[in-house]
Amino acid sequence: MSEAVLTHGIDKSILSSSGQSLSLESEDICINVNDLKLSYGEKSALHGITMPIPRKRVTAFIGPSGCGKSTLLRCFNRMNDLIDNVNTEGQINIDGDDIYHPDIDVSALRRRVGMVFQRPNPFPKSIYENVAYGLRLQGIKQRHVLDEAVEQSLKGAALWNEVKDRLHESALGLSGGQQQRLVIARAIAIKPEVLLLDEPASALDPISTLKIEELIYELKSEYTIVIVTHNMQQAARVSDYTAFMYMGDLIEFGATDTLFTNPKEKQTEDYITGRYG
Amino acid sequence: MSTSIQKSNLWHQKRRRLIDNIARYGIGFGGLSVIMAIVLIFFYLLWVVLPIFSSAEVHTNDSYIASSLESGNTILIVPEESGKLAMRLTNDAKAVFFEQSNGKTLKVIDLELPSDEAVVDAQLVGLTENIFALRLGDDQIFFIKLSYRVSFKGDERVLTPRIEYPFEESFLSFDNSIKTYSATLDEEKLTVSVMQQDHIIKLYRYEVEEGDELPDAETVTEVESQTSVDYMLLDAQALWLYLANKQGEVSVFNIIDIEAVELVSQTKILPPNEELSELKLLIGGSSLLSADQHGDFSQWSIQRDQSNNYFLNRIRGFKNDNKIIKIQTEYRRKGVLLLDSAGKLIIYHTTADNVIAEHQLIDSSVKHFALSARANVLIVEDEQQQISITKIVNEHPELSWNALWDEVVYEGYSEPDYIWQSSSADNDFEPKFSLVPLAFGTIKAAFYAMLFAAPLAIMGAIYTAYFMSAGMRSWVKPGIEIMEALPTVILGFLAGLWLAPVVESNLTGIISILLILPPGILLFAILWQSLPKQIHYRIPDGFQAALLMPVIAGLVWFAIAMGPVIEHLFFGGSLISWMENEFGIGYDQRNSLVVGIAMGMAVIPTIFSITEDAIFSVPRYLTQGSLALGATPWQTLTRVVLLTASPGIFSAVMIGVGRAVGETMIVLMATGNTPVMDFSIFEGMRTLSANVAVELPESEIDSSHYRILFLAALVLFVVTFIFNTAAEIVRQRLRKQYGSL
Repeated sequence: MSEAVLTHGIDKSILSSSGQSLSLESEDICINVNDLKLSYGEKSALHGITMPIPRKRVTAFIGPSGCGKSTLLRCFNRMNDLIDNVNTEGQINIDGDDIYHPDIDVSALRRRVGMVFQRPNPFPKSIYENVAYGLRLQGIKQRHVLDEAVEQSLKGAALWNEVKDRLHESALGLSGGQQQRLVIARAIAIKPEVLLLDEPASALDPISTLKIEELIYELKSEYTIVIVTHNMQQAARVSDYTAFMYMGDLIEFGATDTLFTNPKEKQTEDYITGRYG
Repeated sequence: MSTSIQKSNLWHQKRRRLIDNIARYGIGFGGLSVIMAIVLIFFYLLWVVLPIFSSAEVHTNDSYIASSLESGNTILIVPEESGKLAMRLTNDAKAVFFEQSNGKTLKVIDLELPSDEAVVDAQLVGLTENIFALRLGDDQIFFIKLSYRVSFKGDERVLTPRIEYPFEESFLSFDNSIKTYSATLDEEKLTVSVMQQDHIIKLYRYEVEEGDELPDAETVTEVESQTSVDYMLLDAQALWLYLANKQGEVSVFNIIDIEAVELVSQTKILPPNEELSELKLLIGGSSLLSADQHGDFSQWSIQRDQSNNYFLNRIRGFKNDNKIIKIQTEYRRKGVLLLDSAGKLIIYHTTADNVIAEHQLIDSSVKHFALSARANVLIVEDEQQQISITKIVNEHPELSWNALWDEVVYEGYSEPDYIWQSSSADNDFEPKFSLVPLAFGTIKAAFYAMLFAAPLAIMGAIYTAYFMSAGMRSWVKPGIEIMEALPTVILGFLAGLWLAPVVESNLTGIISILLILPPGILLFAILWQSLPKQIHYRIPDGFQAALLMPVIAGLVWFAIAMGPVIEHLFFGGSLISWMENEFGIGYDQRNSLVVGIAMGMAVIPTIFSITEDAIFSVPRYLTQGSLALGATPWQTLTRVVLLTASPGIFSAVMIGVGRAVGETMIVLMATGNTPVMDFSIFEGMRTLSANVAVELPESEIDSSHYRILFLAALVLFVVTFIFNTAAEIVRQRLRKQYGSL
């Protein structure tokens, strides 16, 4: 790809990085969202979202601020439960389990669906303890199990080489980008199926952002990844599928290269060409 | 138009800069003022306290030959306490008044003696400071009284000495010659002890008022000593008579009932082959001060053992290099001036067990050794009739590090102990200035207050900040914080007058509350969990705590109601007397339990508020990060929230302790203020702060007592300062370790 092809302002060369053409029909579906409605008190935030999320792919949610993309993401591990007066209707099935069923154990759900937040949020503990946290929660105490998991996770998050000599120093001494990768290591240490990334690079500098994006690319071989981003370049770079949301509605959802090069909806085109947002 | 905008911009900028500067300097000034004020308070306290630790100053200034003053040999020298005059009583019945500074004779008064006999010797009558018993010839005792009239000539204070005759010209006449005698006058009771023959001491008691003639003796008692008598010491209050010989065999007679004198103790206070060089009574009459030929000086206190037998107990002393030849006790304090054979003056204080000063006096032998009533002037006359004046500045001899912080053997106590007992009606009393019971009381009060307050406040804060719904929190938090505005005097008043009696009469109930409440609440929680979901949904999330209120009220009522029943069944009707009988645990009505509760109430809002803020300000993204990893809310609380909030919680507890330590009104009103050293929750205490509040108004300015109260305040100040500083350092380190971004 020596020649840069620009479509709607997006460098098209980055789109087909996977080197293969994708289509939802041929994918193994991990998460199924079915007519999901969510309201904060009287205010409706999501009005009937229906979409599949394919397994071991990166799905990006884009859209202007307040469109509900983060809200939708937080539905997948029920983080919205922490907010007062939230009402959820509809269904989300992860591997066939209705996660809003009253019998579902929320903690167990969250072990299956990991999450990384916009702002790096390491705990005020050592690097080691941060990564081991999720395992300790499950009562794992054997030193060698923890050591192994910490090393694997840090390697998985491409942080091992930078921190292996100071595992027992405070995680707060790391740079922002390192902290974010640490948080990813912490999330993958408990071997989730799904990894939710809520604008994971928006607080980071360009180099750190690049590292995170590379990491996402690495991780998708093992995890189903859902990423919310404001940065369309990023969505185009890292994702296989992209959903464009606007005002609580899912406007368009499809393979990333299709959506960016040939959007079906006018609203999508307007957004990705920068007419609003 | 544009210039006017520019102008207004310029003006606006100037104004901004001005306000900025005012704010900067104003805040700087305010902050510095606060620091200055604290430093000034510290230095003021220190300034008042410092004289306690300054050592005594002794100067010998003036000396002159007494014989040049007036003829006659000196019988007695009496320095006047302001340091101007002194009286020399001579054997030819003259009272010669001279200036201390230069020996110039000011006035000579011829004594109007009832007989022509010469004055043989003279001594001070016990309990008085200015009545003297004179022995005339062999067998007569006559009394004179010395007084000074003060007048002012311009600004100058003029002292006019006078000699009065308290019992007119009446005197005591005995049938045989007197060997030793001693007299003491306690209001209208004159007691005279006289030894005429060896072994036989006669005690005479006269009911007489000053100004009247001496009547016949009302009582005469004969005391026979089994040993020879070299020293006859009559206690100034006529309670004890001590007889001793050179070999150190001391007999103590109880003469409280002069008609039934009783030998209560016989003790040999010296090792074999040792001889006494001097034996004196310390002021108060319950201690003997002995010195032997080899410089050993000891204080012996008369005390009672378990079976009510009296004995002499050596409570302290020291060894001097040379033999001590004179012991002169102070008239108003427990201090002693000692003179050794090398002419060294040693100023010693018994309670403080402290040699305050040593001073080389003279080389030749001393004949008269006279101390003023205020113990600030010492006049010494040697064999060559050379008189020398020594000025002593010794304001606070009773205070030393040992006296303040160590166990001390006080007169009448057999064991060393920490005691605070600062004042009494007379000078004979030995002030007991141990700050240990007060410091102990302070710590005890703070401990019980924190025991009550810290768990409640911290747990309450955790629930409020972490679990409670925002709606309920907006009521609960200000509600508890407003408790802080409650004046502590009201809390103290309620605790002392309402709570203390209630606790006393419902002690079993109160203890049962502690036992019933936690399991009761847990049981209710389990019941609640097992109720159908429909009922759960009726209570909004975070409001569940409100359900507990009727449960707690019910349990408290139940515990109180069951109290008498339990007491009847298990403790024979009264827990308090059962504890007393079975375990010897005493019960004060105003005790640590009451103080713990009342002061706990005062401390709870502080701890609650700071802890709540600390927990509530733990960033949401940390909590969410933990929850997103599959942690339960409880795991998140214990592993992330409390860890992150720990600097805040720590400082909340420290500020709570600081408040409990300094709190005054509650402990003043609810503790009973007894300075006991007992950690029992059912006993009271006295704290440093309450002690200052109680005693400062009645202490004499610049007295030792006054300064020691300032010392207590200083100790309190320093302790809280150290506490807060240490807390701040620890907090900073914790914050570095656990504080979030």
